[in-house]
Amino acid sequence: MRQFMLPDLGEGLEEAEIVTWHVNEGDRVVVDQPLVSVETDKAVVEVPSPQSGRIARLFGGKGDLIKVGAPLVEFAEDGQGQDTGTVVGELGQDEKAVREAPTPAPARTLQVLPAVRALARKLEVDLNLVQATGPGGTITRADVERAAKSLAEVGPAEPLRGMRRAMAQRMAAAHAEVVRTTVTEEADIEDWRKGEDVTIRLVRAIASACQAEPSLNAWYNAEAGERRLIKRIDIGIAVDTEGGLIVPVMRNVGERDARDLRAGLDRLRADAAARSIPPEELRGATITLSNFGMIGGRFANLVVVPPQVAIVGAGRIDQRVLVHNGAPAARRVLPLSLTFDHRVVNGGEAARFLVALKAALERAS
Amino acid sequence: MADEGLPVIARFEVRRRSYLAPDGSVLRPLPAFASDSATLLALYRGMVLTRAFDLKAVSLQRTGRLGTYAVSLGQEAVSVGIASAMREEDVLLPSYRDNGTLLWRGTKMEEILLFWGGDERGNLSSGPAHDFPYCIPVGSQAPHAAGVAYAFKFRKEPRVAVCLFGDGATSKGDVWEAMNFAGVHKLPVVFVANNNQWAISVPLKLQTASETLAQKAIAAGFAGEQVDGNDVIAMRAAAEEAIAQARAGGGPRLIEAMTYRLSDHTTADDAARYRPPEEVQARWKEEPIARLRAYLVSQKVWGKAQEEALAAECQKAIEAAIERYLASSPRAAETMFDYLYAELPRSYAGQRAELGGGSSNG
Amino acid sequence: MAEVTLVESINLALARAMEEDGNVVVLGEDVGINGGVFRATVGLQQRFGAERVIDTPLAELLISGLCVGMAAQGLRPVGEIQFMGFVYPCIDQLVNHASRLRNRTQGRLSCPMVLRTPHGGGIRAPEHHSESTEAMLAHIPGLRVVIPSSPERAYGLLLAAIRDPDPVVFLEPTRIYRAAKGQVEDTGEALPLDVAFVLRQGRDVTLISWGAMVRETLAAADELAAHGIDAEVIDLATLKPYDEETVLASVAKTGRCVIVHEAARTGGFGAEIAALIAERGLTSLLAPVARVTGYDTVMPLPRLEQRYIPSASRIVAATRKVCEFA
Repeated sequence: MRQFMLPDLGEGLEEAEIVTWHVNEGDRVVVDQPLVSVETDKAVVEVPSPQSGRIARLFGGKGDLIKVGAPLVEFAEDGQGQDTGTVVGELGQDEKAVREAPTPAPARTLQVLPAVRALARKLEVDLNLVQATGPGGTITRADVERAAKSLAEVGPAEPLRGMRRAMAQRMAAAHAEVVRTTVTEEADIEDWRKGEDVTIRLVRAIASACQAEPSLNAWYNAEAGERRLIKRIDIGIAVDTEGGLIVPVMRNVGERDARDLRAGLDRLRADAAARSIPPEELRGATITLSNFGMIGGRFANLVVVPPQVAIVGAGRIDQRVLVHNGAPAARRVLPLSLTFDHRVVNGGEAARFLVALKAALERAS
Repeated sequence: MADEGLPVIARFEVRRRSYLAPDGSVLRPLPAFASDSATLLALYRGMVLTRAFDLKAVSLQRTGRLGTYAVSLGQEAVSVGIASAMREEDVLLPSYRDNGTLLWRGTKMEEILLFWGGDERGNLSSGPAHDFPYCIPVGSQAPHAAGVAYAFKFRKEPRVAVCLFGDGATSKGDVWEAMNFAGVHKLPVVFVANNNQWAISVPLKLQTASETLAQKAIAAGFAGEQVDGNDVIAMRAAAEEAIAQARAGGGPRLIEAMTYRLSDHTTADDAARYRPPEEVQARWKEEPIARLRAYLVSQKVWGKAQEEALAAECQKAIEAAIERYLASSPRAAETMFDYLYAELPRSYAGQRAELGGGSSNG
Repeated sequence: MAEVTLVESINLALARAMEEDGNVVVLGEDVGINGGVFRATVGLQQRFGAERVIDTPLAELLISGLCVGMAAQGLRPVGEIQFMGFVYPCIDQLVNHASRLRNRTQGRLSCPMVLRTPHGGGIRAPEHHSESTEAMLAHIPGLRVVIPSSPERAYGLLLAAIRDPDPVVFLEPTRIYRAAKGQVEDTGEALPLDVAFVLRQGRDVTLISWGAMVRETLAAADELAAHGIDAEVIDLATLKPYDEETVLASVAKTGRCVIVHEAARTGGFGAEIAALIAERGLTSLLAPVARVTGYDTVMPLPRLEQRYIPSASRIVAATRKVCEFA
């Protein structure tokens, strides 16, 4: 605690009488702030504070005599005033942190001058469809006018919605990732009995091929660089509906008999047509069958949808002239396409799978 | 330099002027005006009012009702002594610590508060319209003073420019360049270096190696004198003499007023960071108001009753001024543009309207 | 009416102003007996006396500070700073005082001063004598910045500057002091400040410039005509405050704008004009605004000086590129 003594008042005076205190105990004072008025023979004198701080104690009251050099005021321990940190004005001490949220760089936009943009708006031309011929790839007025003319001759723009939109997004993503390779074969099914259930035969043949070559019934996690071979065979069956293609999953094909599979498939088809397939039924396929031959076409370079590593395509069954037992003969054949992800399945595995698939299909019913 | 019998081609001398010792006793015969008690009492009142006003301004600042403020505690004799020697037609070019001078010359207390409270209208000043406003870039008013004095000489007017600045300012080129020019052209300007020993936290010995500030005038070709800045009689006398000489065509003079800054640099400064309180306490013994009071009392022209009456009178005037100041409201925002040029250029009309119309963009 | 050079027209304007108003006072280094290092003040001290034409000590800060003090007292000081490269000690007085005195005193005091200084390079001078930092000054509220491009405009604008009640920095393009010639009649008639001059009407592109570069810009406009480009040329003349309406009206008409200045590119005054056009003229633009400027380097010594200062062919090339945008 610092005590401040009554200073020398000059003229040989030894004491003074307290006239008025200008501060109270507990007050915060600053340097030079008047503390008290004291009276001598000659005059009333104001005594200023020698420092900044908090007054802990006042010595004496109005009318009391204080000797020069005697304690007048006691300052509290927390002595000096706070450092303002400046010599003019006030430095704010806002505690609120300023959040910085750096935004990613915007995608490259069209190079269009404002006046040209306005023209495009006026002519109702979608700038994304305009071919730019201006300097630096900018779109000129002439470009816009040309586009307006040709757009007048084509149909209106139709935004993709629903399943079609989902397909566009999914296929783009798959294409970006997967290293697609396709091998093809033809299965000679002349010896099938009449009325054979093609899809079920295909499904069971795929299961058989998976057992022969398990590396095509797997999931691949490219990011982690991990492949999982899957014991259970859940085949996604591509089904064409009014709204587009959906792929419900037939579970555990390897352990179900033909009748069970047929019933399951029929139910899936019906639900698909009615658009009542719950989302879980569309997930988790380990390999997919696209029986596009039901509509037409022989071989196809199909799309593998990650995390799957293979898709089997079955073309339209047709009669072909083949060499059978050494002589040309008209035989019914089922074209097969196997598209696989060559990041994780090698040619040998694919070929062996295809051979097994063909063999399973060519077995007599 | 070794004395090889080389002739001395220049010498200089600087005199020191004082009349009252710190205890108020008389050192040498007083100048004529000091025999008029009314004059001395006016000086005393001026100093007391200045101090009381300053301290009240500080408490306004501490309670958030005034911005940064610079008191002139301990320097009241300089401010009042100089002001009292000026005529109304003379031009004052102050620094930012000369409120005693402004008050003496007619600026109202509420105008001073208005300026430091953050409103340019405070500079409209009820003092002489030709006086310069506060100058914050240190020393940059000195060339203005030389320009003003040149105008007086040019128009053959018997008027004087009085330029106030501190010890720190004498380190600036501005002050040298102005004094140098004033010397060449024998201009009617009085430069007052208010040497309160401190430039914020920089003491005089780090400011200059020159033995006095007064002698800097000699390099500019005119006289300088050092004055006890805590002796208002000495300040007044020195100012009177210098101003009269300038007015009569005798050219410029530099007055170095030796005093002490008893306060912090501004209300935001804490001088205890760089100087010991004992030093300040010792300097209190030399302060100007107690000194003149002691003399007045010894001359039996002043006493306790008058002291109390003066204190009360000052308080009353100050309180009234504070009230008027606190009752004032900020000017309309668009008036920011009103004194930018004599006539606001068209291209700024839009911005002005934005401030005034309260439109939300920008 | 006589044919005079640009520096002679400055001399005519100063003499005319001093003749008409006894408060006009000229001050600077070597302006008196020597008539100024470029002879801008030749004959003035002999005619009007040493009290009105003052040879100051070597102190630029002082010159600008004296102007403030004199102007506050009702004189009309015209200070000269020998080269723009030496104007920087004046920045304190210009920014802290001249531009603010009226505002600080709410009109009680004002500052009708002019500070003249040679501007720009191209005279094969040593370092620091080729400055063009007008953008720095054009940023300051309360100042005026004026730069003529011909003897006629130098005469008329300097008279206007001296008569103006507010501080003006008057930049004189050094390299056309003698090269620019014109017919100037000493009528005492001033030209308006704050107004741009359309020197050439055109349909296809607006070329904006000031100072010595106006001549290269006009030469470029002639060459562009041969390429089938009809250019409008605007001399901004007053940079602070500048004639926004004329600029915008021209760009609205042509849809294209090329700004030409000798000063360095970044933060040069062309940036302000380009910003104005982006803010208020964007929908008329058929091409990006282009700037043909000095490089963002220190002004080189004379050997490379002509590579720095934009040439007419640089202006032509930039304008042709701009006109390729539909």
